Amino acid sequence: MTAIVGVSPGQHARTRSVPRAGWRSRLEGASTPRRLGLLLALLVLLSVVWGVLAALTANQHASAAADVVAVSEPLSLDAEQIYTSLSDADATAANAFLAGGLEPAAARQRYQADITQAAIRIQAASALAGAAGGSAIGDDLATLSGQLPVYTDEVGTARANNRLGLPLGAAYLREASALLRGTLLPAASDIYARESALLTSASAQATGLPLMVIAVVVGLGFGYLLYRSSRWLAGHTHRVVNYGLLLAALAGLVSLVWLAGAFVVGRGDLLHAQQQGSGPAQAYARAEVAALQMHADESLTLIDNSGDDAYQQDYLKEQKLLGPGPGTLLAATGNGSIAGDAQAWYQAHAALRKQDDGGNHPGAVASALTGDAAAKFGQLFTALNDGIDAHQTVFASSARGGRDAFTGLAAGMILASLVMIAGCAWGLSRRLAEYR
Amino acid sequence: MARSRPWRALLVVLAVSGLALGGATAMAAPGQPAVSRALGASQAAPRAGAAASCNPKASSLAPSGPPQVTPGSFMAKIRARGYLIAGVDQSTYHFGFLNPLNGQIEGFDIDMVQAVAKAIFGSAAGHVKFKAISDLQRIPDVTSGAVDIVAHTMTITCDRLKDVDFSSVYFDAAQRVLVLKNSTATSLASLHGQKVCATSGSDSLAVIAANKAVPVAVSYWTDCLVLLQQGDVAAISTDDSILDGLAAQDPWTKLIGPRLTDEPYGLAISKQHPEFVRFVNAVLQQLRTDGQWAASYAHWVGTPVPSPPPAQYGG
Repeated sequence: MTAIVGVSPGQHARTRSVPRAGWRSRLEGASTPRRLGLLLALLVLLSVVWGVLAALTANQHASAAADVVAVSEPLSLDAEQIYTSLSDADATAANAFLAGGLEPAAARQRYQADITQAAIRIQAASALAGAAGGSAIGDDLATLSGQLPVYTDEVGTARANNRLGLPLGAAYLREASALLRGTLLPAASDIYARESALLTSASAQATGLPLMVIAVVVGLGFGYLLYRSSRWLAGHTHRVVNYGLLLAALAGLVSLVWLAGAFVVGRGDLLHAQQQGSGPAQAYARAEVAALQMHADESLTLIDNSGDDAYQQDYLKEQKLLGPGPGTLLAATGNGSIAGDAQAWYQAHAALRKQDDGGNHPGAVASALTGDAAAKFGQLFTALNDGIDAHQTVFASSARGGRDAFTGLAAGMILASLVMIAGCAWGLSRRLAEYR
Repeated sequence: MARSRPWRALLVVLAVSGLALGGATAMAAPGQPAVSRALGASQAAPRAGAAASCNPKASSLAPSGPPQVTPGSFMAKIRARGYLIAGVDQSTYHFGFLNPLNGQIEGFDIDMVQAVAKAIFGSAAGHVKFKAISDLQRIPDVTSGAVDIVAHTMTITCDRLKDVDFSSVYFDAAQRVLVLKNSTATSLASLHGQKVCATSGSDSLAVIAANKAVPVAVSYWTDCLVLLQQGDVAAISTDDSILDGLAAQDPWTKLIGPRLTDEPYGLAISKQHPEFVRFVNAVLQQLRTDGQWAASYAHWVGTPVPSPPPAQYGG
């Protein structure tokens, strides 16, 4: 209000008589060049606000989307891989132990690959964790890198004693398995939970609305003001089209459509990545971990073979969690054929337990190593692993698509706002010049 | 007691802290076996409190001649069933252990079971169902009938005789101490205040506590050896028969100290089947006289072979 200076007494009276008339009535009272100048200032200001706001919005979404792809996703993938690799090592070591001194070469290689994979992922996660922050994750990673050699040492001792035919080997294997389940897996699980939360929040930031809504409102406000301005100019200057304002309007429209379009596309891709990618992949990974723990339980029950059926109890507990059935881990994958694979393994396992409890220990061991139970578990594991892989591929391509939708957006917004400023200045300064 | 393995480390800690507390109590009230309270192991034998009339070595029932499967007897039932169910150890080297080389349970205890099965069926092959059980399960499994017989380095004590019957003594063991070769300890008494391992449910724990060492309870004897090798306990203390088996798995260990206790081993059988006790005693008597006992001893425990523990009966 105070910006409108030098008004005459008569105009004052008029303002008083229509106290609620806004800036337009005041503007109408001012001289045309002054009005043009004020309009120019307002349009330039709005262009700048639009440019800054749109660029900020674009930047926020682009960096959140890049975070999803570059940091959170690999980190949660690392955590998940550490977890599944360790679970696989536990199950494989126990299964190989069952075979006696001459453990199968394939089992040994698989165990080694698991340990290598876990070590690489721990290292990668440590490198990334610096970017993502969080001392809790650092503590967990320290636990993992510190205890992994202790675990492999115990498995090695178990193996050496087993090779000598000493019962001490089984004790070391139980010790190793307890360390893995009691210390290593909880640390990996903790990292996984924290990283999944970070991934979700990065994704939510990239797909969130608030700043985008403000930007669009400002953009529409600018458009409306331009429209009113050109109508007013047409009435006062008898020129139908002001090319400068038209250029500004076009630049504003293009940038608004680009921003909104990029947002819609990027948000769609990221949501798709989450709903069809990381979400199901997580569900499959959880199911796989439960299945691996059960597989280790199966072997450890046979190794332990003590009537103290703690491992078999654990198997049954995990079986309830894995499902199938409402609210189970398998139900979360939404894959009906895997439920069949799981049931087939449960049946083979029950037959194995019946053999073992019936005094046919060698028969039960044969089933777990190379027989029916081994084959049925293999099918279940492959199905779960394929599920993880397929959904991770979906996540990776969709998340990258989402990130790429924001490419160059911020720069584009700044450029558009400069064009808008230039257009307004050009269009109005020509009219203004006519009064000088 | 919950025995889920992943929590075993925690259990050990709890047991140790509980026992440490118990130890303090025991000092205030000597003679009270705080260990058995802390572990809920009623089997831990308060030998001091045994009735004067009870003689663990002469508590069994005398055989009536050579082993015979009489009609209507428990042996006849077992024969009709087709197999004998034996509760055994699977981790005590040389007495009852799962041999990783062939997947079979073997040992001195197992030889006794095979002899009983052979007397019932004429041949042991295929007629024994081994149920590997932990120390804590021995008495419950016998009383519930889950197993016909328990051969599990099990000491005959007056306390246990209240719940189950035992065969005549088939092995004479004594509690001693196993330490690493570089240990300066000379006996259990010299391990005062240090951690000493035994299995929960074994009567060795009470002796460890009585000697003012800190008992650490685990599930299996081999678990004790793991703890000893990793430096988590200073010693393992239990029957020399078991310690011999552990020492055989780690040449860097040694047995020290005097015989702390007398541990006569018997085969545990339900009180419902006195005819089976007499039958088993007849089988053991054959083993003592025909040289099979000595052969098993030489094979599993080593030479020189002592004379078998003489059979004494209380009824």
